[in-house]
Amino acid sequence: MGATAALWVSIVLGGVAQILLKRGINGMGAVGSVRSPRWWIGLLGSGWIWAWAFSFTVATALWLLAISQLNISYAYPLLSASYVFVAVLSRLFLGEKIPWQRWTAIAVISLGVILIVRH
Amino acid sequence: MAEQTIPSLRATTLTNSPGKTAASRMSHVPEIAALSAVAFAAAGHLLIKYGLNSLQAATIPHGFVTRILNCLLQPAVAGGLAVYAIGTVLWVCAVSKREISYIFPLSALNYVVVGVFGRLLFGEAIPNSRWLGISVVVLGVVLMQWRGREDL
Repeated sequence: MGATAALWVSIVLGGVAQILLKRGINGMGAVGSVRSPRWWIGLLGSGWIWAWAFSFTVATALWLLAISQLNISYAYPLLSASYVFVAVLSRLFLGEKIPWQRWTAIAVISLGVILIVRH
Repeated sequence: MAEQTIPSLRATTLTNSPGKTAASRMSHVPEIAALSAVAFAAAGHLLIKYGLNSLQAATIPHGFVTRILNCLLQPAVAGGLAVYAIGTVLWVCAVSKREISYIFPLSALNYVVVGVFGRLLFGEAIPNSRWLGISVVVLGVVLMQWRGREDL
């Protein structure tokens, strides 16, 4: 796999991973909170969490592969796409209602990230 | 102006979400957990990058899996991943209390932390364009508190 392909797969999979994590945690609703050990043990029994762990690991490995070969100032700006991507997926698959103020904030944050890493 | 607008809009939001106690709505614990997670992730990133920089180009193997294993076996890369794991636990805590479309963009503060610490620890010069970007990210995070922040 080429470095650029690895970078893009890493970004998409990283976004999907956040959705899987949130879906797994949402499914834990009735089992108390992060303060209880039962919550964490229960979390380990969730298939969503294992899907998250897998996606996250593969995304991280691909990210390491990509940045070991690409200039970081090229790789990092593309990560800003993931904020919009996660918001769209959270709306489609988790039913999150995103007020326009939050879309505005997401757009501003993405713009800021592009400005930081662009030369 | 923004400072005056934000609290009033947040108050409107809160009255529209019954069933939550005032304490859980006003708590900043998830935000603090998210920021701590970001700081750990940033420290992890710096260690990982340091470890990758120490790889000799001539000794990088060609196979896909062996190349990844070669990266992971660098002590600084492995240590960076461990620090990153601590950040992940804090991240799970934050995600459990907030919507993902709200909390995930806050991870962009990573760039702010890396930029500021790069200057403080390594004396890296930060060009004006980067300060501009850092300011815009911080502005976005502040904007996110304006109706962006809602409990489950």
